[in-house]
Amino acid sequence: MATAEKPLPASKQALLAKEGQPGIDPRGPRFGAGITAVLVLVVIGLALAGPALPPETIGARATQPAFILLAAISALFAWGAFAGIRRHPYGLLFKKLVRPRLAPPAHLEDPKPPTFSQGVGFVITFAGVVLSLVGVPYVLLIAAVFAFFAAFLNSVFDYCLGCQIYLLLVRAGVLGRGTRAA
Amino acid sequence: MNAVAILGILVGLVAVATVVGVLWQRSNGHVREIDDASTVISVGELNADAVAGRGATLLQFSTEVCAPCRTTHQLLGDLATELNGVAHVDVDVSHRPDLANRYNLLQSPTTFILDGSGVVRARIGGAPRPAEVRAELDRILAAA
Repeated sequence: MATAEKPLPASKQALLAKEGQPGIDPRGPRFGAGITAVLVLVVIGLALAGPALPPETIGARATQPAFILLAAISALFAWGAFAGIRRHPYGLLFKKLVRPRLAPPAHLEDPKPPTFSQGVGFVITFAGVVLSLVGVPYVLLIAAVFAFFAAFLNSVFDYCLGCQIYLLLVRAGVLGRGTRAA
Repeated sequence: MNAVAILGILVGLVAVATVVGVLWQRSNGHVREIDDASTVISVGELNADAVAGRGATLLQFSTEVCAPCRTTHQLLGDLATELNGVAHVDVDVSHRPDLANRYNLLQSPTTFILDGSGVVRARIGGAPRPAEVRAELDRILAAA
């Protein structure tokens, strides 16, 4: 574990990024989750305002406002999940606009947990996007509601979705079979 | 659907999510005592370096994607250092579905409090509440 020059409170020490690994400001991911929560709420509003049943053609389904916005949110999740949370645009926004107005972070955290959460967000929203493109009714709305709960609870209550579902996925054989990550 | 109804649904969603968040925060991290003494764990089998405490062992199961696991590690480690005869063992189950199934682990961190004989006396889901862990350890150490 990295040793800081000024000792941190014990509860914070444990969250330090591993030595030799750049850490993240822990407030960044919660800020990003707040933006996501608002955006998926807009998706839900647009989906409710749109037609109850999906339009006949793929083209018409792909140009619904709710679909376009959810596809964009899904792409942003993919960015966070595959490029890492540190390269996520909301993280840059946080760095440019929010962080200068806040006190410097007391500590930096390991980026792995929020990166995993981005992956979960991607899977949920991508499933919604693909299934609604195929023409399955209501999936866009359902995916957006799931994403809203996860993002809202993460942002407001510091709820850790990865903590709740990772082990269930390991037990289901979806994750954790490979060799131990370094 | 008209604008007022949509707005009502959105406000309702935020309200429901807030209630869920408050309930989660309230229920998370409590010590749940286990009355039947049927589960005995030898920590050396889980982790070759692990040594059980004479009086009690705080057995923590963690995953690598879990930020509260780190704070929990620190909290329980400090308790073990402070209290005589108490040991802390942290097992990473990110790649151990066998252990997750054997002990029915649903979330990380999950912490078992074992007595001096390795019997599981209590179970905690989520980041433990320090006062409750202390109280449980006092109970176990007093009974020993």
